[in-house]
Amino acid sequence: MNIDKILVSIFQRAFKSITEEMSISLTKTTRSPILCEAKDFVTGLYDAKGQMLEQKENLPILSFSLGPVCKVIIEQYGNDIHEGDVIIHNDVFSMGNQNNDVAIFKPIFHNNILVGWSAAKGHQADIGGAVQGGYNPNATEVWQEAIRIPAVKLYEKGNLRKDVWNLIFANIRLQMVQEDIKAQIGACTLGERRLQAFVAKYGMEVFEAHKQALFDSTEKMMRAEIKSIPNGVYEGESMVYYDGKHKGSKFPIRAKITVKKDEIIFDFSKSSPQTKGFVNGAYTSTCSAITLTFLQMVNPNIPHNEGMIKPLKYIVPEGTILNASYPAATTFGNHLCPQIADSIFKALGPAVPDRITAGWNHLLCSLFTGIHPRTDKKYVDICFLGLKGGSGALKDDDGYDHIGMIDASGGVLDQDYEMYEQQTPHLIIQHEYLKDSGGAGQWRGGLGTTTQILLRGGDTTMVVFGDGDVEPNYGLFGGKGSVLNKIELKYPGRGGKKLIPMSKDMIHGIPDGTLYSQIAGGGGGYGSPKKRDRDKLKQDVKNEVVSKDAAKNIYGLK
Amino acid sequence: MKYNVGIDIGGTFTDLICVSSEGKTIVHKTLSTPQDSSIGFINGIREVAEMADQPFEEFVSAIDTIVHGTTVATNALLTLKGAKTALITTKGFRDALEMRRGIREEQFNNHYRNVTPLAPRYLRFTVDERIDSEGKVLTKFDEKELLPVIKKIIAEKVESVAVCFMNSYKNSSHEKQAVKFLRKNLKGVFVTASFEVLPSIRFYERVSTTTVSAFVGPIVAKYLDNLTNKLESINFKGTLLIMQSNGGVVVPDQVKKNPAVTVLSGPAAAPTAGAFYSQMLGYKNCITVDMGGTSFDAAIVIDNQCVTSTEGNINRYRIALPSLDIITIGAGGGSIGWINEGGLLQMGPQSAGALPGPVCYGRGGEIPACTDADLILGYLNPDFFAGGKLQLNKATAEKAIKDELASKLGLSVLETAAGMFRIINSNMAQGVREISVERGYDPREFLFIVAGGAGSIHSSEICKELEIPMFLVPNVSSIFCAAGMLLGDLKHDYIRSYFTSFKNLDRKKFLSLFNEMKEQGLHALVVEEGVSKEKISLYPILDLRYVGQYHEVQLEAGWDDVMDFNLEHIFELFHQEHNRQFGYSLKEEGTEMELINLRLRVIGKTERPKFNAGYSDPVSIKSAIKEHREVYIPETGKMKSVAIYDGDMPIYGAKIKGPCVIEKITTSVFVSENYDCVVDDFGSFIVYEREKFPKGYHLIQKLQEVNEY
Repeated sequence: MNIDKILVSIFQRAFKSITEEMSISLTKTTRSPILCEAKDFVTGLYDAKGQMLEQKENLPILSFSLGPVCKVIIEQYGNDIHEGDVIIHNDVFSMGNQNNDVAIFKPIFHNNILVGWSAAKGHQADIGGAVQGGYNPNATEVWQEAIRIPAVKLYEKGNLRKDVWNLIFANIRLQMVQEDIKAQIGACTLGERRLQAFVAKYGMEVFEAHKQALFDSTEKMMRAEIKSIPNGVYEGESMVYYDGKHKGSKFPIRAKITVKKDEIIFDFSKSSPQTKGFVNGAYTSTCSAITLTFLQMVNPNIPHNEGMIKPLKYIVPEGTILNASYPAATTFGNHLCPQIADSIFKALGPAVPDRITAGWNHLLCSLFTGIHPRTDKKYVDICFLGLKGGSGALKDDDGYDHIGMIDASGGVLDQDYEMYEQQTPHLIIQHEYLKDSGGAGQWRGGLGTTTQILLRGGDTTMVVFGDGDVEPNYGLFGGKGSVLNKIELKYPGRGGKKLIPMSKDMIHGIPDGTLYSQIAGGGGGYGSPKKRDRDKLKQDVKNEVVSKDAAKNIYGLK
Repeated sequence: MKYNVGIDIGGTFTDLICVSSEGKTIVHKTLSTPQDSSIGFINGIREVAEMADQPFEEFVSAIDTIVHGTTVATNALLTLKGAKTALITTKGFRDALEMRRGIREEQFNNHYRNVTPLAPRYLRFTVDERIDSEGKVLTKFDEKELLPVIKKIIAEKVESVAVCFMNSYKNSSHEKQAVKFLRKNLKGVFVTASFEVLPSIRFYERVSTTTVSAFVGPIVAKYLDNLTNKLESINFKGTLLIMQSNGGVVVPDQVKKNPAVTVLSGPAAAPTAGAFYSQMLGYKNCITVDMGGTSFDAAIVIDNQCVTSTEGNINRYRIALPSLDIITIGAGGGSIGWINEGGLLQMGPQSAGALPGPVCYGRGGEIPACTDADLILGYLNPDFFAGGKLQLNKATAEKAIKDELASKLGLSVLETAAGMFRIINSNMAQGVREISVERGYDPREFLFIVAGGAGSIHSSEICKELEIPMFLVPNVSSIFCAAGMLLGDLKHDYIRSYFTSFKNLDRKKFLSLFNEMKEQGLHALVVEEGVSKEKISLYPILDLRYVGQYHEVQLEAGWDDVMDFNLEHIFELFHQEHNRQFGYSLKEEGTEMELINLRLRVIGKTERPKFNAGYSDPVSIKSAIKEHREVYIPETGKMKSVAIYDGDMPIYGAKIKGPCVIEKITTSVFVSENYDCVVDDFGSFIVYEREKFPKGYHLIQKLQEVNEY
């Protein structure tokens, strides 16, 4: 068939707009603030073979597991896939990325032929297991973390399988999760309708041929990007601290990156063996982390489809911290992304110094659960407000202030303060940029934040997960690192105890009136602070994001 | 004889329409004067007076009403040339404005910058006061806190101050106190607070909207003062009304209270005009599109009402005031063609603008743009662009397309130009899809109205992509917004936050909040704008959602339902609306609902100007044929010689067979192979798909009937 190049462009636009429409629908209908406020979800379209047509990646760490799961489903069901089926999945041992990240898939048919899939995956407020909210720092096996859902049909030929539905949700604490899954199914239905109409309009043959042409053109773009990196083998290392079990424990992440013409191989074989706790990656969370990091180094206009990821090769052996063997606990896996990113940036730094950033702030996060006294209902709140630090600076540009973890790169939002005070019993005391938190440099690291929240309601449980409280993130080429992450609780009353949780921790029974403080560090600086543009520096001093002392002593302002 | 005048000031042209009490219409375009746009404003009136054959003074004294759409606020936001603005907020929240909840719109682009905050950090001050989520005072506000702030504001020569405190939507006493004290102690400085601009929940939306209002406030006020003075100096005794982003009009003094209402003052008139035109043709629903030099705006009208949204932003600045829901994408005559790294042809969003403009303008442009493609495809007449005022150079356009695009794509110049045409049409179709399909509306059930100079060449292809069977090119299409300004009602939007489950809803409070807003609206309309009471109508809106949801649906209810406290009916409407927007409702589950905000839209009907129908004896349609020219036919992918009609001739009632091009001084209409066109009594063109209207299009035919074919 003759390829109409123009039609290929139209295909790309159409796929993109469909996944965006699915994303809007999900934002508007979901209930958990993790989804509708923070947008911790992703939507996507795939072809009949499970190849990515397009994705809307609000939180990219979830994203690059959808295609692999889709392929698992296709293999599992073979010919037993029908119009009206709805398939649910979260299992990390069959290509899921995190237990809480539950995916819905809907097959799409045209004239009774399977032409593609729509999918929506979101981080659920609860997923069963030992601890509400899913983050269980004490877990050593998957069942202590979550209910495992391998690919299973929720609907068959349009009929709800009430038994399956009940079985799953009998194992999940919050009613809200059922409602959010309904919203995900709704978003997939939208995607189904749109792609169906699209295929009907152009016909199967044109669809298949032009889809392939889109993949090919995208692959060409990606290969050109890889080709622009000098051939070679590059190595970089970063460190994960504390597995939630053994104080002072350390686990290296080691990237060996081979660039050979237009191909790139990311080999993490030499990384630490898996841990005994939940600080372990799933294969696809690691692949997502690699992909999203590499995307930061290439042309941001490359369309997101199968062609984009085809030239990327991943070697992540089972049994390592980045691909733990069954039945390991892995809920922390998404949050190994900052270290994976560091190791990649460090490795490729010498090859492409203009394309890498200095260190990003590593995630340190808390999750509160309790009973809201005004509604008498359970709430689960990931404290997105407190966790957002800065990104690393790069050549020609400062880091981005208060952007948060690299896994989301600004795709995840803080809760609105007033909505937060309605939805939780807590009172926000402060949420501001932290002075001197951006790593000094010719280009300054993005600013971190300081947050204080008065915990109300009593009997609050806090789960902490993350890192970045041991080793400061790094500057580049003479740029400085930033401050460490820190969380602190001060119990009420005079002489109330102060408590600094570990980076993986769980604290029960926090009394009403406890003050929660958090520092999220900034990003690292790039280039010598002495070379910082003096006007920019003076502006930073005037805006009180760089202190006069730092301006004088670190930047050398006279 | 009396006149009504609509004036829309754009970047390049100031558009005017003047309608006399006898229904005679004068349409005029004059050059804008960006350094002081009131000059172009007065020039325009002067020129229209000449066209009306009236002495200037007499003409001015005969003007009843001038309705004006201004881009002063829009441009201040786009170019960041607003007032030097300070923000005063609650201790602990200094940075919410700049943080924007931590979004980076381009996730994979590390060179992507945050927006420049409208109040820089050194001008963001905090005071020690706090009100909790229930409205209870936790830390009392003391005016003394403001003394050092006022000192700095004076020292820094700040021109405008925004005040936004936490939870002030529940209890605005601290803000009121602060504003009073600031106004007393900061003479000559514009002061505004969130309770005046947007008293509703969501701190970020409120602080951002309030700061926008402060940022544009002094400039808008100064502009309006200047304009009123100029109008006084020419002895204008009528009423000056300003178009707001919500599609309604207000007197200048109302604008000065909340200048942020004018950020979409210009484009807001298009759907307003659309509502009018579709009603004339017997339609309730329409989509208006406006394709200019750099951008393409799409908006929607449902049940003769323009659709408003509170989710807008301009230049990435969040404005949560009710504004007409207008999608703007970077597609216009100046949109440039380029090839991405994967070898795919792209159009826009970058634009060659008016200067240097497309290559064929011969003003130094070297990158091929949409207009260059349109010229090569034969849709534009090189000798009759803007009525011949600008000679277009086809040879340079061809060369540029060949060198920049065609040679790299391995296509011919014609194929490439056709590709540019197709891609930009597809981009615009996506914009239309966004405003319709993604809002849950089927564009095929809408009258599609095309405005702007460039739009009517592209509309049949946009319609084809969305399967829209017909479109309307209004007689005043090129100055459509100016026309819309004469059709806007006086309109005021009010909001009160009342966050409660229906279980705990207090009837008295519910009613008193509505009555309070009603009183405010009546005061503005009756006392300040002199509207008589019988012309006033009330439109209550409730922001509702299922308990546990986070985002609300804005539900229109009847005033009687509200006053009768008829909740059952309101619930029923909500289930229906949720189902329509998101494909399901939770009615059967019996899920409860909760209330977030109460809104009231108060409308004072204005007199509609009368537009006269055209002559009854149309010239023979054949005599309107100017020439035959080769144009590109998308259906066949080939050039074909077609008739070129003179659209400025009085051809009312004529039926014209496609394919053809109808040329007017201000615009060209391309009627494609499978389309025919009829001209209505007002000189508007209705272009329809032949197959869908086998009996031809009759002016009163309803679209529903069409869809039955």
